[in-house]
Amino acid sequence: MKKVETPDYTASDKLKTHVSALGTAAKEMLIPLNITTHYPRERKRQPACFRGYMLFDPERCISCFQCSFVCPANAIWMKEAPSGRYYPTVDYGKCIFCHFCVDSCPGSALRTTKIHDVAYKTMDEMFTSTEELVEPPKIVREDKVVVDYVIDQEDLTLKRTKEVDELIVEVEPTPGVPLVSQCVDRGSCIACKICERVCESGAVSAVVDEATMTVQMSIDQEKCTGCGLCVKECSMQILSLFRK
Amino acid sequence: MATESEAEWEIKIPEKKLKDKLFFENLRAAVIDTKMCSRCLTCVSICPSKLLVNEEDAVDFPDYEEKCLDCGACVRVCPRYGYKPKSGLGDYIEFTAGQSKRFKGQDGAMATEFIFSAIDMGLIDRGIFVDRDEQWRTHVFHVRRKEQLEKLPLGGTKYVFADVIPELKKAVMLTKVGVGVVGTPCMVSGIRKLQDEFPVFKEKVKLVVGLFCTENFHYNEVSKYLEEKGVDFSKLVKTDIMKGKFVATMTDDEVKFKVSQLSGILPTGCNVCTDFTAVESDVSVGSVGSAPGFSTTVVRTEVAKEVWDYIKKMGNAEVGEGKVEELDFLINHKKEREKNIPEQ
Repeated sequence: MKKVETPDYTASDKLKTHVSALGTAAKEMLIPLNITTHYPRERKRQPACFRGYMLFDPERCISCFQCSFVCPANAIWMKEAPSGRYYPTVDYGKCIFCHFCVDSCPGSALRTTKIHDVAYKTMDEMFTSTEELVEPPKIVREDKVVVDYVIDQEDLTLKRTKEVDELIVEVEPTPGVPLVSQCVDRGSCIACKICERVCESGAVSAVVDEATMTVQMSIDQEKCTGCGLCVKECSMQILSLFRK
Repeated sequence: MATESEAEWEIKIPEKKLKDKLFFENLRAAVIDTKMCSRCLTCVSICPSKLLVNEEDAVDFPDYEEKCLDCGACVRVCPRYGYKPKSGLGDYIEFTAGQSKRFKGQDGAMATEFIFSAIDMGLIDRGIFVDRDEQWRTHVFHVRRKEQLEKLPLGGTKYVFADVIPELKKAVMLTKVGVGVVGTPCMVSGIRKLQDEFPVFKEKVKLVVGLFCTENFHYNEVSKYLEEKGVDFSKLVKTDIMKGKFVATMTDDEVKFKVSQLSGILPTGCNVCTDFTAVESDVSVGSVGSAPGFSTTVVRTEVAKEVWDYIKKMGNAEVGEGKVEELDFLINHKKEREKNIPEQ
């Protein structure tokens, strides 16, 4: 066993360390150095991929339910809009901000923001409807500057910059996979023509021929936008989306 | 890749007997109004709109003028639309009897045995089962494992129609392997019509077990009748028809009366039914024609024969002897109802 002994300081050594300590104290008094962010007056700069509050663009949503299927916390509930389409609602009381929904959205209808400081008074308020997801939440902010961590040689220091961080990241939306609806079991079609009724782009046509008592069904592959409404509504579940 | 042929197809719809009328009105005129409807609910299962069973236990379509899509699916599948009555014992491969070792109960135990053996074989992945609640109302379940059945302790014959076929359609949509189903002769006919019309049913409904059936009752009517007779549903243990008598066994009492007394509430659909043995099923099961405890088993198709061989191989059932001649009385009794069928 090795015994650690106190170094044998001379009087001049002691004086030198005391002067150095007083010098550091004097320097900290004049120019303080710390790594504490004075939140909420200032905020840390977040990376562009920060996983915060989500925004939703109904124009890009194809009601594929992928976000609600993939959600590991069961936070996404698809709700029927007056148009008959289904759009996601997010329960932030359950959301774990994994953003699997954002990653799996084929139409880039969901996108992430750097907003992480939405406050709720009750649990019910945390249930966010589709309408509330379209616009970013209104938050009164006090922050004036953004703070960055800077690793300066040996110290971890903070650099206070003058700009304000843009919380809503502009991300180029992915073009998405072009899909078309097709019938996978034509023999089982009951010709209820529901697909024709729900199609918004007029791609599905059902023509009844009274003379021969037949119904001519067709899906115009050019007009079809691959929204999947007919696939969802088909009473025999024989329509399916395919890559164009 | 998208091809032209998958995006265009043609469906043949049936001729309308009453031109300028909706298909539902045709169905109503030919089947419901003539009191031939057996309430098998094949039409309800296929209807893409709101065809339903109303409170008087009849098939109905409120505000059909607005909501009927006039697709003709209901008349395509209705076994009583253009009714071709079937009777007799039908073709069979093997006429035998069995007693399930795994399941207890009335004649349903052997039907249950068939479904579960088919699940064990991997032929199907779910069966449609009927259970009842305290008030003897029927409920339909998908059963995928044997353990699930233990949670449905209220087995036994119900003598009440259940919504089997609407549930069968849901099961067909969900299944990846196949579905097995147990039904009365009218339901079996409905399932066969569905299979003839729509390939998805042909592909997915793999085993159809038919039950011997003289008649079946509608819940509202039979419950009212039995209550008048002094049957307390909360104490009712089982119902059975033995030697021409309807027997309702309760925990502390027994109510017996002649089956013929029930003719007042006999559904009109049963009045025109001539099929006692479910001729169109894969396998028919019933108590008539075998020793007490055993169920007569009429194996009709190759699929059912495979399942029956599997049951025997695994020793899941005791094999008994079936007596063909004992069925003759009821087969003829039902064949007599041919005279009740109105001219079309």
